Amino acid sequence: MIRGFSIRNLFARHEALLALVILLEVILFQALGRNFLTGGNVSNIFRHSVEIGLLALVMTPVILSGGIDLSVGSMMGLCAVVFGMLVKSSGLDPLSAACIAVCVGGLGGALNAGLIQRFKMPPLIVTLGTFSLFRGLAEALTKGSESYSGFSNGFLALGNSEIAGVPAQVWILAAAGFAVWFLVHRTTFGRSLRAIGYAPEGARYAGLPVGRTLGAAYVLAGAAAGLAAVILVARLGEARANAGTGYELLAITAVVLGGVSIFGGSGNVAGVALGWLALAILNNGLTRISDYEIMGEKISGVARELSGMLTGLLLLAALAVSAGTKTLALRRAAKQTAANTAPSP
Amino acid sequence: MIRKTLLLATALLALSSCRKTEDAGKTTVGFLLKSKGNQYFVTCEKGARAAAAELDIDLRVDGPISADPAKQNEIVENWITDGLDVIVAACENKDSISTALRKAQAAGIKVVTYDADAQEDARSFFANQATAKGIGEKLIDTAAEQMGGEGEFAIITGTLTSANLNLWIEAIKARQAEKYPNMKLVDVRPCDDQKDKAQQEATNLLSAHPNLKAIVAVCSPAVPGAAEAVKQAGKTGAVKVVGLGLPSENRAYIKEGVTQAIILWNPEDLGYLAVQAGVALAKGDLSKGAQTFGAGKLGELKVEGDSIILGEPVVFTKGNIDDFDF
Repeated sequence: MIRGFSIRNLFARHEALLALVILLEVILFQALGRNFLTGGNVSNIFRHSVEIGLLALVMTPVILSGGIDLSVGSMMGLCAVVFGMLVKSSGLDPLSAACIAVCVGGLGGALNAGLIQRFKMPPLIVTLGTFSLFRGLAEALTKGSESYSGFSNGFLALGNSEIAGVPAQVWILAAAGFAVWFLVHRTTFGRSLRAIGYAPEGARYAGLPVGRTLGAAYVLAGAAAGLAAVILVARLGEARANAGTGYELLAITAVVLGGVSIFGGSGNVAGVALGWLALAILNNGLTRISDYEIMGEKISGVARELSGMLTGLLLLAALAVSAGTKTLALRRAAKQTAANTAPSP
Repeated sequence: MIRKTLLLATALLALSSCRKTEDAGKTTVGFLLKSKGNQYFVTCEKGARAAAAELDIDLRVDGPISADPAKQNEIVENWITDGLDVIVAACENKDSISTALRKAQAAGIKVVTYDADAQEDARSFFANQATAKGIGEKLIDTAAEQMGGEGEFAIITGTLTSANLNLWIEAIKARQAEKYPNMKLVDVRPCDDQKDKAQQEATNLLSAHPNLKAIVAVCSPAVPGAAEAVKQAGKTGAVKVVGLGLPSENRAYIKEGVTQAIILWNPEDLGYLAVQAGVALAKGDLSKGAQTFGAGKLGELKVEGDSIILGEPVVFTKGNIDDFDF
């Protein structure tokens, strides 16, 4: 009882930490950057990170179950190419083509899940394989150089227009965020995921449908990668085999920064959303700082070069602080228990 | 803890109110590179900065660190937010960047492209580094000079289906037939844009045509490839090597005397021209239908349709190659 309470407390603290990070980022970039807190730029922050946000959201159930999916970025490349081909070569309408792209993503996810369960292979290895497989397939389909463009304005609006002052694709992300939150925190599916993440064998003995639950998590991840690909194509106006390169690692970074244990079992969607937001603001904010001065020396160009380094530092620092407070809390709890159980004089 | 944070926040907010403000009157130009690490674009940037200093404008230079189709669009979208006056862009991905550039135009920003063009409706002018005719003729003139205007020569190209390389080869053939009747083109070989394949092809050419006097390499990997073959065959100086390539890739061979000359436009001039054109466009000094454009120190340049032609390529030889570091 006491332990459960302190762990909940801990999560609250991790999210508070992230909120603090976000606040500091906003203040810092507003102070040093150009046009940071303007309507246009805030739109850009969200618009440019929707794809990674979608991937991070669906990566959460996968990681909660103790797995990982390295193939989602490559899956985006494959789905983008499939979508482009269907619209430009086969003359399909964008909506049907988008549905097929999402299905292709789901199928890819099913392939991951099937391999993981049928052959009892670790998710890391399986998705490392499909990471190359999906991207390779996309490159083979386009011979590496072909790309598709010239989409209708109606379709491009998905990536470039605003609805009620908010970029169109952000509404999709918000809906997906709510759906994943509900799935993870309000359904037996979500509970099963955590149980599997804590103890896969225990979950099996408890009679949970381990196979079905894991399968659903990977299919969801693949399908969301398909959706992210369609949104990316709508934003760029071009479908190419290299779409989404490296996005899987950014999504995993957001999830882990959000406080989800990489070993599975614990974490929540709100934390992931905050982790994603912290990264999105960092990446945008650094591009707002241009022609800056460090100790009297004028540096031309923008600070984007620092983005990789700062992302890494942020992740490591957040995890270190989180781990530090966890150790502290456990020690305090142990002391408390010792005091409580000490024989009275 | 919370009180400290609030204090810090207030301090930073106070700081934010005194950040530097921009010069309101100055024209602001965004100069977009294909990638930042590429020495070619670093040289373009040098020219752009020179033009900015001359014209007294605010220049912002940005580009992806490595080729990334989404990053260029994001940079352009950020510039739209900032309300820049002009965007000057080298386009990595013709179709995707055009989406963003059209948005910029809709927001009233003037757009000029350089080095690699966008779609025609996504920009007003393209600063064109060279025409096919200009490149082809310069190559054959340089080769003819080295060969004394007579003898056999061969061409190594990228692929036999490459559209722009074939145009250059056509220009070479036409010029040779017209001006150098004593020269004879014996073969055109593809190297698939690979240096080692070019070396192999050059070795074959050397043994198949013992009277060969020159190899003309029209794609950049073929120049060092051909040079290596000539060097290994011990024919340095006897068989001349000329081609289109980067000084940095050919410096050693040129200094050894294996490669006699390479040609390329000057990227610094290209960046300079592109910024000049962008600013002129914003000021109304350049508009559709212009026949010529006065580009500062580069003088009066020809405008063909909506391409501003940079002019003749530069010839790099032992004498001047150390002046260029790209």
